[in-house]
Amino acid sequence: MGRRVGMSTGYDALEDKFLKPEKGKRTMLRMVKDIFYWKKESAQFVISVVVTAIAGVLYPLALGFAVNSILSRNAHLLLVYATLFFLLYFVQFFSNRWMALSSTKVAQGVIKRMRDRSFEKLQRVPLEFFSKVKVGYLISRISNDSESISDFLTYQLPQVISGVTTIIIAAGIMFHLDTRLALYSLIVMPILGIFTITLQTRVRSNYLRTRRAIAAITGNLAETIAAIRTVKAFNIESHTESKFESLNSDNFRANMVATRLSSFYSSIIRVIEAVGMVLVIYEGSISLLNGQISLGIVVAFIAYVQQFFNPIVQLSQLYNTYQNSVVGASRIYSIIDSNPDSDFGKDPIPAFSDSIITDKIKATYESSVALSNISIEIKKGECVAIVGRTGAGKTTLTNVILKFKSPEEGEITIDMKNLWSVETREYRKLIIPVLQEPFLFNGSIFENIEYSKRGITREEVLSLIKRYGMNEIFHSLPKGLDSPVGEMGRNLSEGQRQAVSIMRAFVRNPDIIIMDEATAQIDSKSEKSIITAMRNYTKNGTLILISHRFSLITLADRIIVLEKGMVVQEGTLDYLSKEEGIFTELYRRSLNTFSGKAE
Amino acid sequence: MSVDRVQLKVRLGSFLKVFEPVLFARPYLKNRRGIFTLVIVAGMVSNFTLLLVPIYIGDAVSALEAGDYSSILHISILIVIAYSISGMVSFIVNYGGQYISQTFAFNLRKDLVAHLVRKRFLFFETQTSGDLLSRGTMDIEATRNFNLSMFTNLFPTIFLIIEAFVLLFLVSPLFSLLLALIVPVLIILGMLSSRRQRPIWKEIRTTYGKLGETLQENVVGQRVVRGLAAENQEVDKYSAMTKEYYDENYRVVKSRNTFNNLMPLAVAVVSSSVIGFGGYLDLVNRTSVGGLVAAVTIFAMLTSPVSFLGRMIVFSENSRAAIGRIQEITASGGEEDVASSGESLLPGMLGFDHVRFTRGDIVILKDVTFRALPGEFIGITGKTGAGKTSMVNLITRYYDSDSGVISIGSRNIKDIPISLLRSRISIVPQEIILLSGTIKENILFGIQASDAEVKRASALASISEFIESLPLKYDTVIGERGITLSGGQRQRIAIARAVLRNPLILILDDATSSVDPDTEISIFDNLKASLKDTIILMISLRASALSFANKVLVIEEGELKEETYGEEGRYVDRI
Repeated sequence: MGRRVGMSTGYDALEDKFLKPEKGKRTMLRMVKDIFYWKKESAQFVISVVVTAIAGVLYPLALGFAVNSILSRNAHLLLVYATLFFLLYFVQFFSNRWMALSSTKVAQGVIKRMRDRSFEKLQRVPLEFFSKVKVGYLISRISNDSESISDFLTYQLPQVISGVTTIIIAAGIMFHLDTRLALYSLIVMPILGIFTITLQTRVRSNYLRTRRAIAAITGNLAETIAAIRTVKAFNIESHTESKFESLNSDNFRANMVATRLSSFYSSIIRVIEAVGMVLVIYEGSISLLNGQISLGIVVAFIAYVQQFFNPIVQLSQLYNTYQNSVVGASRIYSIIDSNPDSDFGKDPIPAFSDSIITDKIKATYESSVALSNISIEIKKGECVAIVGRTGAGKTTLTNVILKFKSPEEGEITIDMKNLWSVETREYRKLIIPVLQEPFLFNGSIFENIEYSKRGITREEVLSLIKRYGMNEIFHSLPKGLDSPVGEMGRNLSEGQRQAVSIMRAFVRNPDIIIMDEATAQIDSKSEKSIITAMRNYTKNGTLILISHRFSLITLADRIIVLEKGMVVQEGTLDYLSKEEGIFTELYRRSLNTFSGKAE
Repeated sequence: MSVDRVQLKVRLGSFLKVFEPVLFARPYLKNRRGIFTLVIVAGMVSNFTLLLVPIYIGDAVSALEAGDYSSILHISILIVIAYSISGMVSFIVNYGGQYISQTFAFNLRKDLVAHLVRKRFLFFETQTSGDLLSRGTMDIEATRNFNLSMFTNLFPTIFLIIEAFVLLFLVSPLFSLLLALIVPVLIILGMLSSRRQRPIWKEIRTTYGKLGETLQENVVGQRVVRGLAAENQEVDKYSAMTKEYYDENYRVVKSRNTFNNLMPLAVAVVSSSVIGFGGYLDLVNRTSVGGLVAAVTIFAMLTSPVSFLGRMIVFSENSRAAIGRIQEITASGGEEDVASSGESLLPGMLGFDHVRFTRGDIVILKDVTFRALPGEFIGITGKTGAGKTSMVNLITRYYDSDSGVISIGSRNIKDIPISLLRSRISIVPQEIILLSGTIKENILFGIQASDAEVKRASALASISEFIESLPLKYDTVIGERGITLSGGQRQRIAIARAVLRNPLILILDDATSSVDPDTEISIFDNLKASLKDTIILMISLRASALSFANKVLVIEEGELKEETYGEEGRYVDRI
């Protein structure tokens, strides 16, 4: 178990390196800025809290005056102060309502913006980001951590503001009533301050640990859910459970450590409070004995000392929740602060008119070289096949062409413009990839196709499906285009998913299509009709095919053979089948059949 | 009259439902009764001592009024002692309460995962992972938080109200009567108000689940989102959802607002009348004001526990909505018995006998009959969507056939324990899932095997050369979804994982689709040569792969159209 704990901290350390959490102070300032982003709401919020607090501070005054009026046997004044006492509560009734509404608006507004901004940032970060940070951990930050902030803002921040207001007013009144007595009540403050500061670092690191522990749980659970079919297939349910259990108990322990300290803290605070209060009572009674003050004032003073200490105790307890939410906020800010994809480019690229040329490209993952010295040219209207063994760099090459990955060396140009200077999103409207793993969104088949072209009608989609010879693929689905595909398209077969993702690309009628093993799970007859129909349809279109399937390769005008990240052969099928090399090694069997058929 | 009584009963019933989350926690807190009781008692003691303070202050005021200054010191010491005891005892309350609530969450999470991994495949078709995830995290957290408040505050609060009642009674029976009147009225009002909030809380929990779902989908599908330049579309979609969450949270506050603030107001009405009326009596009777001050202070102290009760009534709805979602997982049903049985499964013929399989209204397999002997290499092919994967999914009992018998040896697979069945059948699915961890951990995948065995399995899958070219070899850590590996490399690691188990039946579901033809040939050669007693079922669309099979089953319209026996081991593509 110890080892596994080590592993999870290993990931946390990596994640922290990648998503640097900010210092507590700066995070707090940013949170304040985020709160005041909601100008109207935060103004309402602050006003209502202050009004509530002021009304709260004034009760004892009303009570003290009422007591005095009883002692002076003045029934009229008693009625006035009793009414005032009630009115103060009545004001509070309204200001409290106002406060609840505005604090919810502020809190929910703040976390909505945090979530929206981090979500938006996720659409802009380089793709490598996602191979470094786990999905579950991201969800934990964006969903769970922001929830702890909302709790703090909705329930605790009002207490903080009203606490501070109360302390100021109570102190003011106390000084006004009797300076000497007031000073006595402040004696314990430095002790309180020193005590709090001493514990600060430990409290914060405790909360950081709890947030990490719950993120680890979320991460593990997310992975288990994603892998559930494999877990069941290999009957490793109990293994999975024990892995989860160790994270679960890490979380338990982290929380208990944090609680132990904060409980200890609040207990001590209470004792300090009692000492402060007794000092005042004692000193007050001596003043009364000396005839310096009236009994009413002593009563009011005792009430104020409580008013004064209650928020201080509360604030010190809130300090723990505050730390918790600051830690949460810093984890979200670190996502918002991630660097976006370095170069988005500005040059417009309305259409593809000539060629894509790569010049001596080199690309690496971590330290291993994926592509080196690649110089190829793809002309408009061409159908180019890229073949090679697994791991030869085919997908990396498409990632570079799609601007998913930037090459370390070399240059790519499209129509003589540097690819990194053209506007990425406009470029990606020209070039549509159909990827190895057909990812679908939860929804119907039609919704998935509509995703790439808003406003397309069912009829149009149906006629396209027919044109591409794909109707049989969807034959077995009861609701046709309206069949739900399930999460990640799991309710469909892999082949059906590929067909949908192909349709999704075709409806855009793009200038260039890149197909990365996009028909691997489609039967060869349907595959052929898809390819043929597409070739006819996109007479002027450009097609880049990555495939192991010989049947597909035969459709290409030109074949590029990759091996260990380099171009080793290039030419037409005829040419390559005669040249002894990787290509003939890979396709000897198929070539035999092929030439057999041809003869 | 009788209608009223029924309504009252309904209200009482719904009042008791406030405690549902606590009852829900009971089975997860076995053997924690002692600490639980300790926390409750400590909470009461803490509150009791705190409530003594206004009495002491009242005494102090009376003493001052009477000029009895000597008792002031005495009273001061009592106050310090009361606060100190309350402080010490509240440590037990805070720490012990947290201990119980964390134990509850720990056990609940454990139970949830135990149920989750045992759910049948059908369950996961109806759920999304983002939503399941939020049930396992935030829904549990919401329930834990509510219960923490209940454990630490509920009994002390009730106790405090009763104690206040008693103390007030001692000061003035009239005042205590007032208290006895308002509390039940407030509780009934609370019930009425919370009923309106129930649906909104449910929506909030559901929307929260959807937020996680959308986020997860977006992250997993980033390449598609970017490839289709649909980033802004996604941002709009997510933003619409966070707006919904915002609105729902606002609505719930709006609806609970009036009631929540009515509680302190009611207390205020009572305490102002105490000042007015009680003060008048003191004034007329020239009695001591100490009792009055004490009474008002007691009322002031009651404001927060009464508000607490109101809040609990409201948040109980949130917690119950969360529990409802958790119970969809923890309620048994639709679960598989995956415990290992100690039995063993002998090699034998795999038989499909008139197997029929439907999903809803659709017939996937009409009537399938075939046999496969140990050592045979069977190809399965058919059009996209023909039911190839469905057929092999029946062998591992991910789904059960509607009729017909599937048997291994002479045993019906329905009579074989699932754990035994699945541990003897290895499957390489279309969608390869690798867990975060090292390559070796992914090949072992929960079983014990020597390094040599792992190497041998990797060699069979033609991946050992690649693994050994990595600096850390088998200890190389791979990303969460194996992102840094190519499709073909992942498939081959999955093949190594399947082969390592030396299975009776090996199912390759298009398992070499991303592997180059050259390597594919060597993998098949290896498998054929070394798995002599294994039935290999290979789903493929590639003629080159199918040519390895001893026989090829073609699925068409839910039936095996023909069993094509390879001529000299060659299969001719007919589809």
